[in-house]
Amino acid sequence: MSRSLAITIYAGTAIFFALFFAFPIWHTVEEAFVTADGTITLAYFAELFRNPLYLEGLVNSFFMGFFTTVLALVIALPLALIGNTWQFRGKEILHALLLVPLVLPPFVGALGVRQFLGQAGVLNTFLIDLGLMDASAPFDWLGEGRLVGIVLMNALHLYPIAYLNISAALANLDPAMEEAAGNLGCHGIRRLFRITLPLIMPGLFAGATIIFIWAFTELGVPLIFDFDRVTSVQIFEGIKDLSGNPFPYALVVVMLVATVLFYLAGKWCFGRDNFASSGRASTGRVLRSASPFGGLCCAGLFALVTAVAILPHIGVVLLSLSRDWYGTLLPTALTGQHYEDALGHPLTIHSIANSLKYASLATGLDVLLGIGIAYVVVRTRLPGRQFLDAIAMLPLAVPGLVLAFGYLAMTREGKPFDFLILGEDPILILVIAYAVRRLPYVVRSAAAGFQQTSVSLEEAAQNLGSTPMRALRKITLPLIAANLIAGALLAFSFAMLEVSDSLILAEQQQHYPITKAIYALISSLGTGPNLASALGVWAMAFLTVTLLGAGILLGRKMGALFRV
Amino acid sequence: MVTIRISSLVKRFGDVVALDHLDLDIAAGELFFLLGPSGSGKTTLLRAIAGLHLPDAGTIHFDEDDVTRLPPHRRETGMMFQSYALWPHLNVFRNVAFGLEERRVPKTEIRRRVDEALAMVKMDGLGARRVHELSGGQQQRVALARALVIRPRCLLLDEPLSNLDSKLRVEMRAEIRRICKEFGLTAVYVTHDQKEALSMADRMAVLDAGKIVQTGTPVDLYRRPRSAFVSSFVGETNLIEGTIATVSGDEYSIHTETGDLSARLAAPDWKPAPGDLVILSIRPECLSLHVDPPAENAITGRLIESVYLGETAQYSLKCEERETPLHISELNPHRVIRDTETRFHATAKPEDIVILKS
Repeated sequence: MSRSLAITIYAGTAIFFALFFAFPIWHTVEEAFVTADGTITLAYFAELFRNPLYLEGLVNSFFMGFFTTVLALVIALPLALIGNTWQFRGKEILHALLLVPLVLPPFVGALGVRQFLGQAGVLNTFLIDLGLMDASAPFDWLGEGRLVGIVLMNALHLYPIAYLNISAALANLDPAMEEAAGNLGCHGIRRLFRITLPLIMPGLFAGATIIFIWAFTELGVPLIFDFDRVTSVQIFEGIKDLSGNPFPYALVVVMLVATVLFYLAGKWCFGRDNFASSGRASTGRVLRSASPFGGLCCAGLFALVTAVAILPHIGVVLLSLSRDWYGTLLPTALTGQHYEDALGHPLTIHSIANSLKYASLATGLDVLLGIGIAYVVVRTRLPGRQFLDAIAMLPLAVPGLVLAFGYLAMTREGKPFDFLILGEDPILILVIAYAVRRLPYVVRSAAAGFQQTSVSLEEAAQNLGSTPMRALRKITLPLIAANLIAGALLAFSFAMLEVSDSLILAEQQQHYPITKAIYALISSLGTGPNLASALGVWAMAFLTVTLLGAGILLGRKMGALFRV
Repeated sequence: MVTIRISSLVKRFGDVVALDHLDLDIAAGELFFLLGPSGSGKTTLLRAIAGLHLPDAGTIHFDEDDVTRLPPHRRETGMMFQSYALWPHLNVFRNVAFGLEERRVPKTEIRRRVDEALAMVKMDGLGARRVHELSGGQQQRVALARALVIRPRCLLLDEPLSNLDSKLRVEMRAEIRRICKEFGLTAVYVTHDQKEALSMADRMAVLDAGKIVQTGTPVDLYRRPRSAFVSSFVGETNLIEGTIATVSGDEYSIHTETGDLSARLAAPDWKPAPGDLVILSIRPECLSLHVDPPAENAITGRLIESVYLGETAQYSLKCEERETPLHISELNPHRVIRDTETRFHATAKPEDIVILKS
């Protein structure tokens, strides 16, 4: 690639990020500190911190992030250690299934949880049937412990990220390190804590960071649980009267600052030593064959975690099929009517088409940008290319809610980017919003492809008469196609499931993406939740296939996609 | 078939100077070897000729054409990469056909020329194979066919045999040389294996720290090295420091710590004078062991190591005056001396001792 083209890509990406990453954040920050007459003030923050409602929201958000992270690690760490030590029957398929919850939209799953744990839910019915509960005074599980329910839902959704990161770290760990410890008499649990865990800490931390940021700012699940005492929901509610109301802006800034602080604190505690540079594995990790009984235990554990994680979504499937499910263990009557209705409902047909349109355009944009950025970073010696790599990864570290809010703020009437809203159609800003947030996955997978593909393969083509661009197209792109497809599939799935941008930016019914349509249906009366479930099941089936495909194409390298 | 003329070529990577004002002329049809330790700049030079590195200064000419700034895809060189760089997503035929497709050669001619090239490297009939189904030696042949099929102006080979086992390596040496000579190709061949260079080259250059330290035929470099670096890099040698005592005609007497030695060989462009500090280079196979003191050039000591290798026996002789033992190699030995008590005398003919600048 010629130097001028590389510089063009660099400059283009930098401008894109300045406009659609830095500017929305900056705009939000500005609104939070500047009064209507243009003076700088801290009054909004003072007010905010005096308001017990907002304070409680922040504390709850922190709990939501912290406990989700801890729980996700508790689930993922043993699984990753087992998966990277033992070989057992059915491991490949169990391994792929373990990752499925990642693409099951958690706020759809929350519907299922409501069905299980609600006052007239399955658990209470079960307890009443057993005579352990008084039927006239059923316990309100979600009323008392809604935060617990949210944490559980989030952790069951996000543990695959921790699992992938830890697995990738273990795969990079030179087995000789552990063998040396064993040779010196340190083994078992002792070796795990003295050698293995310290060495994989950076990978563990990378996964934990993403989970924390994700859960700390999660909007969809608390919304479905009708829990408005978290900051994310308070911001969402605040959007309804944004003009002249500075508090949503201030809340977004507080959330952003808190995220950055937690990230830095974590990095300072766990991420200081970068062991990754201490050389790659000299020998491959050899998996030990588990005994038949041991293998059964391992497989059982994997299957159990997956089963628990998809239980809420099984609830959703049942809900979507049920004619009547109230106060009974299982639906009393089944019907396919909701699926038909869901496809016939004006909201749903539009929303499926919209989501497909937004997500595929965003994915296309990501693939173009991703290939360009990865090429510049891996294949050129352009000064500052590491910086380009770093900014392309930044969207992982900034909460989606913050960005979504920034986009909304900067495209409001009279604001500089109002022109991006074509009439009422938010397609441009939604595509950009989807693309920015998913760009890291595509950049990472493309960069991994470029790194694995020897540059001499391109040089050989040039030597035989191909121009650099042609060599890239004829040789390298076909070779890294698997990486690109996997990254694109992942970007596409996450775009289809996007909550913050979708709920905040799509304002007209005919422009709703799937997620907002589901949200709208849930809040509507009658068979709304059933219709929402049916729509959710359509989405889930679709996305499960997508992620299974990505998992097969990328294998263990998937962990590299979730690193900051 | 082109001549390659390189003048004052400079290539820097950051602070590292990989090529330091390097000059080199390679004649048309010559099989030319670049030999040197790793980091000496030989691969950088080859890649500069291919256009894969843009030099910071200096020029490269193919015949009269200045190709210094020409991008790689317009240089018409055929390169064989150390890793072979065969494309795993294309089969053998498509790999070889690639360069012709890029040149928009008609389909029927591509088929004919690819088949011809595959036959030449004895890979006919294997065109449909995938690259990963080939052995190392077969991959190497495909890479060679791919580089040759475009009828390049010159062939560039970057350690093409380093991934093969020793038996196959010997076989392929002869094969590559045969093909180069059959086509009268100008070929530049990078290696760090001196046996490969000595056995195949028309001429060769030894590189060190981005400069060429000596150019010549294999016999020149082995028999008449101009520096201690060349003599110890091309083959094995014993280096002994000394001072010129007397000169008469082309007979030199040199005073060394192990006694006076007489020598007849010196670099052709240099005439040492009495009092000059010099280094003597004596190849192990030029030395022979004796129990009785020989008439001249005797170096005396006790054997500290004896190694029997079949075609040779190698001895280490420790002299009292010298730290480093003297290495002696006896061809076609019918016994091995393992006597560490007796004082032995090693000797070499004056015409086998090379005088080098200190």
